[in-house]
Amino acid sequence: MSILHDEGQQAIATESRRVLEARISKDDLLPLLETSGRYHEGFWTTAKEQGWTALALPEAYGGLDLGLVELGLIAHQAGRSLSGAPFLTSGFGAAKAIELLGTDAQKQRWLPGLASGEAIGAVAFAAGADPLPARPDLTCASGHIEGRARSVTAGLAADVAVVLADEAGTPVLALVDLAGVERSAIDSFDNSRLIADLRFAGTPAEVIATGPAAHGAALQILALQAVVTAHEQTGGAEALMEIARDYAVTRKAFGQPIGAFQSIKHRIAELYGLVELARANCIHAAARADQADFITAAAAARLSATEAYDTAARDCVQIHGGIGVTWEIGLHLHMRRSRSLALEQGNSLFWEDILVDRLAGEAA
Amino acid sequence: MSDLEAFRAKAAAWCESMVPAFGKAARKGLSVEEDLALGRRYQKAKFDAGFAGINWPTEYGGQGLGHIEKITFEGEEMKHGFPNVYFGISLGMPVPVLMQFGSDREFVKERVVKALKGEEIWCQLFSEPSGGTDLAGLRTRAEPDGNGWKINGQKVWTSWAQYSDYGVIVVRTDPTVAKHKGLTYFWVDMKAPGVTVRPIKLAGGDSHVNEVFFDDVKISDDHRMSPVGGGFAVALTTLMIERYVATDSAGFGPHLDLFVDLAKDVKINGKPAIEDGRIRQQIARNYAMRAGLDSINRRARLMMQAGMTPGPEGSLNKLVAVRSRQKLSELALDLQGTDAFPFDEHASPKDDWASSWINAPTGRIAGGSDETLLNTIAERILGLPQDHRPDKGIPFNQIPA
Repeated sequence: MSILHDEGQQAIATESRRVLEARISKDDLLPLLETSGRYHEGFWTTAKEQGWTALALPEAYGGLDLGLVELGLIAHQAGRSLSGAPFLTSGFGAAKAIELLGTDAQKQRWLPGLASGEAIGAVAFAAGADPLPARPDLTCASGHIEGRARSVTAGLAADVAVVLADEAGTPVLALVDLAGVERSAIDSFDNSRLIADLRFAGTPAEVIATGPAAHGAALQILALQAVVTAHEQTGGAEALMEIARDYAVTRKAFGQPIGAFQSIKHRIAELYGLVELARANCIHAAARADQADFITAAAAARLSATEAYDTAARDCVQIHGGIGVTWEIGLHLHMRRSRSLALEQGNSLFWEDILVDRLAGEAA
Repeated sequence: MSDLEAFRAKAAAWCESMVPAFGKAARKGLSVEEDLALGRRYQKAKFDAGFAGINWPTEYGGQGLGHIEKITFEGEEMKHGFPNVYFGISLGMPVPVLMQFGSDREFVKERVVKALKGEEIWCQLFSEPSGGTDLAGLRTRAEPDGNGWKINGQKVWTSWAQYSDYGVIVVRTDPTVAKHKGLTYFWVDMKAPGVTVRPIKLAGGDSHVNEVFFDDVKISDDHRMSPVGGGFAVALTTLMIERYVATDSAGFGPHLDLFVDLAKDVKINGKPAIEDGRIRQQIARNYAMRAGLDSINRRARLMMQAGMTPGPEGSLNKLVAVRSRQKLSELALDLQGTDAFPFDEHASPKDDWASSWINAPTGRIAGGSDETLLNTIAERILGLPQDHRPDKGIPFNQIPA
């Protein structure tokens, strides 16, 4: 896969940007923060309509047979626009797990719905601070899941989940139909992520991988999602850098634009560096999806994208001064999103260890 | 195999074959003069093999290939630590400018070929004690003298001036106009009467830069390479010649693998340093940064191959890589504790942490300081305002000292 985007890929980037800029506004996003259980329906309708949900899934099941590069380009634009629905990433993760590990029947059952966006997918591997626990909290016994999956992104709306569970001391990956599963919304600082606790009480589940294979597949799914999220973070960071730049050239103090002060202009120039490093790592990782070094590339993308978005959120607000901390200007939408995206798909601490294990030759 | 891959394979094979004669082992223990002599033989071998002046016209001794072939060769060459550093400035800036702007074409041709063979070296006389970043604020002057000019003043930080045969120089020919407008560009014979070169010993112990004094140095008008008062534009051409050179995400310091190896070797509180979270975080962060730069550079090469102009993000390399190298080198010394004290001032910054550390500040200052690069990114790429410049538009001789 080339790291130079072809014409079709460039068109995906420009068209998705155009559509999202026309359809998403801060005024729609702010109220979502103060209600629980609502997401930006306009975005999700657009995602379905534009075929973004189908983008990276196989043609045989209603997908478009494109890949991580194309999905990444959409995610970048979603990040720019703060699009308020988490399902693009979680649905992709669930679908990839089913595509890679599922039976024909399971693929037939779930993939067409996930591709059209009629079905929503979630991925629940984490146990609190551990994104990929060796001993998961959930237990699985003869095809039934027991326990509570905490703070699952998209969990409130999902129809199907891929979960990591413990079956007699061995990790398993299982597919769970969420119809009838009890869930409770988590009131979060970024409410449109539809984060929920899922309570499984003897819920029927289909095991799709067992033992080390389950753990390896979970890491692969997590890395795929992390690369999508890294694109989203890079898009958010890029938008913030531009917002900071635009403010710095118009806002005046002491008789000149504040962007003429080096303390401000250098801060924005540093953001440019972080955004470009993150973008370069994202482009590289998306192109390595099927290669042996994918986990390493995904970790680098994830680390640099988290750093870029966090720093951009911090600095953009700082450059705005007092107006930056108001509800109305909405920079806190990015602050909130930068943190929720930093926590989903494994935090930086997790990816640092994954990366160093590989660089030091401690992992296969 | 593409043509470029074939070229790379040929370049790689040739470089490998040069290792016994010119590699790190062959250079070990040589004095600077002996190393320079070896360097001249290496440059000649490179010329004979068709790897000198790769993207220069064939009528000037070059190979008539593209920029992409040049950086492809350099990517292979830089793996081996050959003694080519003495020719980097010479062939990088002054000689290409001479090729473009020199008036006596026969003379130009003779000089270019000799420079490509390593027989002659050129230096670039830009920075002065009064300023390096503020190039247009320079004070060295040239006054009309008969049919020619007479130069008086001082340059500084001139790389390899002590071994140079010629130099290109920007001087002030009119102090009564705004600072950018009173400059003129010449070449000078470094062996001419009145030229004095004094090496400057740098913090790390080496002396590749110099002070150069000009006392009534007389040159004829055919040394002039710009219109009178048009020197700044030619100087900018010099600085912009090649934005994309073969870059190194290690900031011309040690590869990250060397740090990982060190962290596996040493212990912190009885446990391998590689298991320590503080060390792991630095490894991970440095890897992500370097991988980003590598991806930017790979993309730039692919764009050039496809006939496109690479984006401005290539300008990040030096800024990001060298300051990271500085901090990582400090940490590498910390990791070794008192075992880090033994110091070899001739060790290479590419494989010795102490050498990398002590020479890193030079890298953050030379060729555009970190602050200058941040200004350039802010102003040229992001469209932020220029700094306040109180001397703007004022005749040079009326700027308060």
